[in-house]
Amino acid sequence: MSDSNLESVTTAPAQASSTSDIVIEANALTKAFSEEVIAIQGASFQIKEGAFISLVGPSGCGKSTLLRLVSGLIDMTSGSIKVRGQEVIKPRTDIGMMFQKPVLLDWRTSVENVLLPSEINGSVTDDDRRKAIEVLHLVGLKDFEFHFPRQLSGGMQQRVALARLLQTGADILLLDEPFGALDEFTRERLNIELMRIVDDTPTTSLFVTHNIAEAIFLADEVMVMTPRPGRLARIVEVPFERPRSLELQLTPEFNEIESEVRGILASYL
Amino acid sequence: MTTEASEVVFVAEKANTFRYVPIHLAIFITLMLIWEMANRWNLVDPLLFPRPTDIVGGMYSIFIAKGGIWPHLAATFGKAMGGMVIGSAIGMALAIAAALIPMFRDYLKPYIIIVEAMPRIAVGPIFIAALGFGYASAVALAALVCFFAPFVNTMTGLMQVDEETEELFRSMRASKLQIFFKLMMPNAMPLITAGLKLAVAGAFAGALVSEFIQARNGLGVLMRDYIRTLNMEFSFATLLSITIFGFLLFRTMEAINYRIIYWQSETLMYKRSRRLAVKWEPVMAAAAINRPVAVAAGGVA
Repeated sequence: MSDSNLESVTTAPAQASSTSDIVIEANALTKAFSEEVIAIQGASFQIKEGAFISLVGPSGCGKSTLLRLVSGLIDMTSGSIKVRGQEVIKPRTDIGMMFQKPVLLDWRTSVENVLLPSEINGSVTDDDRRKAIEVLHLVGLKDFEFHFPRQLSGGMQQRVALARLLQTGADILLLDEPFGALDEFTRERLNIELMRIVDDTPTTSLFVTHNIAEAIFLADEVMVMTPRPGRLARIVEVPFERPRSLELQLTPEFNEIESEVRGILASYL
Repeated sequence: MTTEASEVVFVAEKANTFRYVPIHLAIFITLMLIWEMANRWNLVDPLLFPRPTDIVGGMYSIFIAKGGIWPHLAATFGKAMGGMVIGSAIGMALAIAAALIPMFRDYLKPYIIIVEAMPRIAVGPIFIAALGFGYASAVALAALVCFFAPFVNTMTGLMQVDEETEELFRSMRASKLQIFFKLMMPNAMPLITAGLKLAVAGAFAGALVSEFIQARNGLGVLMRDYIRTLNMEFSFATLLSITIFGFLLFRTMEAINYRIIYWQSETLMYKRSRRLAVKWEPVMAAAAINRPVAVAAGGVA
């Protein structure tokens, strides 16, 4: 890998980049599955505490791989990732993940699924149980606490998965197209609720999607990736105030950012 | 808050089992009548194929009047269950090891193929030569015959874990043991129980075959002796008993399986939900009085 392949971008404004502000820091991150298949090439970026970052790019550009690298689920080929100043070598307690599929356990009710992270952590306390009920209510599943996944719609299953993520207590959320398999209406609604939840809590989020509007709507900054081998093309700032409402997507400012992102993606096709 | 809830309907799992009873009965009676008449009119050898009415008489005799079948029934049941437990335990243990250790799986494979290809009941005489006419040889054959289904099903079940679910567990820093017990085992349960159901039938057949070859007691012995003395009513009555007994064993196993994999039954899911809701009442109450909505990352109170 020659140095000319490296893209170095920083999401943090220069004056704010004191090390304590930075939660995730990737340096010349490269992941090759084989000689030919290079998923990520020389990605460098920094993510500030409390930021919501969307990661967009065409299918197969290594978005999911990047997320798994940050989570410590897979090893990098070269480069480094630091979370809160520590090299990532295995999954961490302050990182929680959510996938495109809800990946619920069929034999457990909603609340038992939500309790899974507490169980894995050790013994389950009354506080854990109360929190499980509370997060289920927070994601809108009041009266569905004791249903089994098979008795829930796709959207509701994904809500359970979101509740389970909140139950972990992680404050870095890695979201891999979490609502990508849902219909448009359900997805929009869940996006709004996700935004409400992360706005209310001090969380740092990295949200993978291939839906450009969704990426912009949710994020403080959009990281645009190129097709294989995946590289960071550019970081686009999204300066809109929070809380945001769906009407934002109809404004000319929003459309301007949307066409900018589209333009960047198109230039690599 | 409204949700995109689909109405959850608990479908009663009663099929229209009883709707066709009259037709079934009519067909059965017709068949029995044909058999009975064929015998009375000498269309079949009456010595070899007794009348259904005589077989019913034989049933009455061996179960009630003389009651001679009971000790044999107990013996065969004991052998089949012994074989079932041992065979399934060995099959499942090997399957767990094979699923978890790829190298073990690779080295085990040729032997599994041999056992699969071999007509396993053919080993019966060897077992009897080695272990005698008693329980040991019959249990061994029953175990050998039934071991395969639990083995294959357990291994397949354990290995079909969804990759993303495993990633989820790993992202929560679950140990290998936690992944095994909280994910792989329950996930494999539908297949494991299906394997055990086949194993029951296999163990029963294995025990019987061993008795046909050589044994001191058991339904197989009983039937063989009746046939030797050309007591065909009692032979057929024993065969009918074996069929009924086998059917009951299979159905019992099905009923146990149904309870084990409760999440595949609307009725059982519903019952479990209700039970859980009651158990969780205090927690629900605590959550309700507990401030507005606190929660999430780091617990902002």
